[in-house]
Order: sequence, then structure tokens, then C-alpha cells
Amino acid sequence: MNTVQRFFRRYIFSTVGIMILFLAVNIVLLFAIMIAGNMSGSDPSFSTISDFSDRIVFRDGNWMADDAALSMLQDQSAWAMLLEEDGDVVWQQNMPENLPRSYTSAEVASFSRWYLEDYPVKIWTRADGCLLVVGYPPGTFVKYYFSLEWPYMGIMFGGIAAVFIINLMLIVLLILRNTRKVERAMTPILQEIQNLSHGRPSHLDEQGELAEINAGLNRAADYMRKKDNTRAEWIRGVSHDIRTPLSMVLGYASELEDDPVLPRETRKQAGIIRRESEKIKRLIDDLNLTTKLEYALQPVHFKDVDWTESCRQAVSEVLNSGLDNRYEIVFAEVQPGHPIHLLGDTGLLQRMLDNLIRNSITHNPQGCRITLSVGEESGYCLCTVADDGVGIAPELLNALNQGNDIASTQDSDEKSEHGLGLKLVVQIVKAHRGTISFSGSSPHGLEVRISLPIQPHLS
Amino acid sequence: MSSYKILLVDDDRDLLEMLLSIFRRAGYTSLLTASSGPEALRIWREAQPSLIVLDVMMPGMDGFSVLKEIRRISRVPVLMLTARGEAEDRIEGLEIGADDYLPKPFLPKELLLRVGAILSRAYPKQNERVELAGSTVDMANAEVWKNGGKQTLTAKEMQLFEKLYQNAGRIVTTGILCETICGEFWQGYESTLSTHIRHLREKIEENPSKPVSLITVKGLGYRLNLREVSP
Repeated sequence: MNTVQRFFRRYIFSTVGIMILFLAVNIVLLFAIMIAGNMSGSDPSFSTISDFSDRIVFRDGNWMADDAALSMLQDQSAWAMLLEEDGDVVWQQNMPENLPRSYTSAEVASFSRWYLEDYPVKIWTRADGCLLVVGYPPGTFVKYYFSLEWPYMGIMFGGIAAVFIINLMLIVLLILRNTRKVERAMTPILQEIQNLSHGRPSHLDEQGELAEINAGLNRAADYMRKKDNTRAEWIRGVSHDIRTPLSMVLGYASELEDDPVLPRETRKQAGIIRRESEKIKRLIDDLNLTTKLEYALQPVHFKDVDWTESCRQAVSEVLNSGLDNRYEIVFAEVQPGHPIHLLGDTGLLQRMLDNLIRNSITHNPQGCRITLSVGEESGYCLCTVADDGVGIAPELLNALNQGNDIASTQDSDEKSEHGLGLKLVVQIVKAHRGTISFSGSSPHGLEVRISLPIQPHLS
Repeated sequence: MSSYKILLVDDDRDLLEMLLSIFRRAGYTSLLTASSGPEALRIWREAQPSLIVLDVMMPGMDGFSVLKEIRRISRVPVLMLTARGEAEDRIEGLEIGADDYLPKPFLPKELLLRVGAILSRAYPKQNERVELAGSTVDMANAEVWKNGGKQTLTAKEMQLFEKLYQNAGRIVTTGILCETICGEFWQGYESTLSTHIRHLREKIEENPSKPVSLITVKGLGYRLNLREVSP
């Protein structure tokens, strides 16, 4: 899962989380309101009519209410009466004058549900069979008679639950749909930003609501491309302009070096000019190629390559160019006579090997023995270039293995050496989807191992 | 001394001057120069040179156009020089029909070596003799003279010898030698190659088991050493 997907997943989870939190808070609030309502409602001492009823007792042939009961009534401006089983009022307190003192069972049934002459009443059936009626001033509370048949109740509660669930699902669905929509619009943009940060600009469709953002990113990509191209063109132009004058330097220096008429010292100096010019030539070639590979201006021509033969030719090329006898190059096949083929660019691969061999030569002016061995192992072409020279510092080894560029390295004779040669090697290995590792060789020296897939997966 | 007539084409006068100096020192006496495409075509028509060294980047008519024009009627050997050094240039030049291609900057030795190789391919000498440590090879008749006796080289041996001779003093890899005698698909031909080399050694070496002219470079290929000519 990439960053963009992760971002949207997290967004959905957080939205669902917010909804659940929202519901929970609402339920809690609802309970809180109900509790608060109860607490702040009527006098707590008159909270239940049964409590009131317990305070009315039959004593010494008379019905009596205690002081607490009377003050309860007083506080509420209510009145009360006690009906006997036959409907007669046997006790009353503050009862309005206009109300009858006897009730038929039909009247009791009626006021128990509705009102007694506009007075809302609360009713309590006592254990002794009497009926306690407490009447409140009209307008203090509402009575509503509620009755439903069971099947209908079921449907209603079921319906409410269903409506609730449908609502919930609808909300979730809409959130998902919206998120999906935003995701679809945002993903290419976020992807493009990532691409830009990796220096691989592409082109976005300038349509939809976010067309302006897309257009902005396209402009940034174009700008980056243009800058890259300008830099590559510039390097190309400079290296082209250096080539012709360098031909003259190289040509004449070489002529002077070989001129038998000149004194030995002069010819030696001409030789130095020639060698240094050759270094400049390599530098320009490396710079040109590395720029082109970096900005993908150099198409890699993948063809069937005879790996062993390519290595042979690279080694022969170095030997043929006139190698000082301080150096010895040994070529070895791990599986002699076993043909190894891979899909690759012969020119680039030979350049890679050439750079590796010359890297060993450059860093070991005292001379060294360079061993190049080739082999094949489970679908990979292997090549090891090892020398028994001075080797390189552990921190440089680390930097190389982590794929960091080496800006410049110090020769053992204190001449600074550009790190382009090895950078180019790494670039070529990458272009072939291979791997490279640098290590010290025993007892001393540098060992470079390259592993290239026989069939690179090219995108 | 070489009697080949060579036309040098480059828009840079100084570079032309240097090319003239390189070829003169190497013993080429008949040298012509041109500093533009149209001039090169005019001189080529008038003087019919044996070989043309042609710069790719020239104002007006570039080297590729000049080469195309020449190739319409002539197979004259052409070596392209380019300051761009790009693989595409190389491929384009060779596709149009250049015989070889040399990127600037170049070493005079390398230029002369390539020109020499092209010339010997294009104009096989009638009576060229190659002097080796223990024998002399008559290229025209594919004969080897050793200790007063004469032996004939087979076609394959001759092909091998020519390739090695063109690259005398340099390592020629096994792959290139196999390709020389059996073309692009030479896989598995290595053992046959060593048989041919053995036969060739028997004919040209005084002691075939201790070769001094046709040297094996372990793992890589072979190298032909010519007889050191005492100055």
C-alpha cells in the first residue's frame, strides 16, 4: 500500500470514528438531559404518588394525612381525595368545591385516563382497595392516553431501528463515495508530486475540478524537464567544444612524444601532456554518458550479449591500449567453456568493465594485479573485478555500497580524482536492473561484484 | 612510404594541419585536404582518393550528407571523425556505409592503425609479405616460407591470419576470431578455432609447442607478433 492509499484509508477510518464518537456523545447527552430533567423537575419529596399515599392513614375511625403530606400538597398547589371502593370520597384535602363528592366507576375510568374537570390528576390504587387521587391546577402537566396494538408496536420499533440503520449506512456510503471521488481526483496529483520529488516527471490530464492543480504540476514538471535538458545540453555542448581542441593537444603531444629528433626530456614531458589529455578525454566521456543516463537521454539498446566475450573484449581493450608492466590483468571463467548470454547493451557493459579496471589502475600507481572473473548463477550473470592494491577507506566503501555519489576521491599520490567513473558503473548496473557491491579484497585491495539478471524486467 | 592518396576533410583548419602532419610522418605522401562538404565532393570527383577521412560536424553540408552522396556511386573507404562521440552517431555513420568511425579526441596511433586496417582490407596487396620471427607469409598466395620450405595456408587459416595481422601486436579475442571464420553465430566453435590455430602454428612457428609469433593470451584470445625490424 502506498502513501496515498494509506492516507485515504486513514481518512475513512477517522471519519467512521468521528461518527461513532458523535453517536456516543449524543447518547450520553440524552441520558444526561433526562437525568437533569428528573433532578430539576418537581419537588423530590413529592416524586412519587405512592410515597404520598403512604402518608395517609386510617386511624381512630378517621382518615388522616400527616404534616409532610399536607405541605407536599401545599407546595404543588394540589388537592387530593381518597375514594372508597363504591366511589365515595372518604377523605379530601383542598378539594375544589365544584367537584362531585362521589364518582361512578365510568367517571373514575374517564378521569384516570384524561382529566377531572380540567384538573390533571395522578392516581394511586392503595393496598386497602381505596383509590388516591391527586389533582393539580389546570395547565401544570399534560396527560396523554397512549395505546397501541402489539404487532403495530413491533413494526414501529423495527421501523425506527431500520430507519436508523439505513441512515447510518447511507451516511457511511456517502462518505465512502465522496472519499473515493476525492481519492480518484487526488491520487494522480499526489503520485505526480512523488514522481517530481524523485525527478521523474510525467504528464497529468488537465480535466475535472482539479484541472488547475494538474496544470500547475505539469508546469512544474515541464520546468524540471527543461532544466534537466538544459543542463544535459550544456554539458553536451561543452564536451563537444572541448573535443576538437583536445584532439589537437592529444595529437601534437603524441607526435612530439614519438619524435626521435627531440631530446629525451622533452619527449617525456610531451608524454605527460598526452597522458593528462587522455584523462580529460575520459572525464568528458564519463560526464557526457553519466548525464545522459541520469536524465534518460541515452536510450539503452538491449540486445543479446555474449557476456564472457564482452568481458574478454573489455580486458583486451585495456591491454591493447598499452598497459604499463606494473599492472597485470588476469581473466578467469568460473565455468570455463560455458556460454553466458544476457539481454543488455554491449557498449555500456564494456564501458562499465573498462571503468572498473581503470579505476583499479588509477588508484594503484605502484602497480597491482587485477583479476576479472565471470560466471553465471541461477539466472544472473556475475562479474568480479578485484585488485590487490591499496584498497579504499571503509567510509568510502560504505558510501559506495549505499549508492551515494563520491564527489571526489584522493589518489594515493594526492591527486584528486573525480568519482564519475564509479558513478557511471553504478548507473549502468542499474540500467540493467542489476546489483553491485564493493568490498575489500583479502589481504588488501578492492573487490567489486556485479550481478546482472539474464532477462531484465524492463518497464 | 605509402602511395595511397588520402583526402582529409574537416572544417577546422588547425585540425586539418595536424592530420596532415600525422599522415606525413607516417609516410603518406599523397595528401589532399578539404574544409567543407561541397569542396570534399569536388576533390573526391577530381582526384579519386584511395581513402577519405571525413569529419561529421561541418557547417552547411555535414559529413553524413557527403558520405551519402559518395555512396551513391562509389565504395571508396571512408573513416568518419566525430566530436559528438555518441552511439547513435556511430550507428548512423556505419549504416550509411562508413568503413569505420573514430570519436574525437583520438590518438594519432589509433587513427593510423584504423586507416591502415581499412586500406589493407580495401586494397589487398598483390605481393605483400609478412615477416615473422621464424617464417615469412606471402599474403597474395597464402604461402608460408619457413627454413627454405614452402607450405600453403587453408582458406580458414588465411582468414585467421589476416585478422591477426590487421591487429598485429594487439590481442584479438576468441569471439572475434570465431566470428571471422564462421560469422555471427559462432557459439561452440572455440575448440575448432584452437585446432585451426594449432595448424597455423605448425606452419608459421619454428617450434609450434613454444610459439613466439602467434601467442595465446590466457582466457582472452591470441596475439600475432611481427618480427622486430632493427632500425
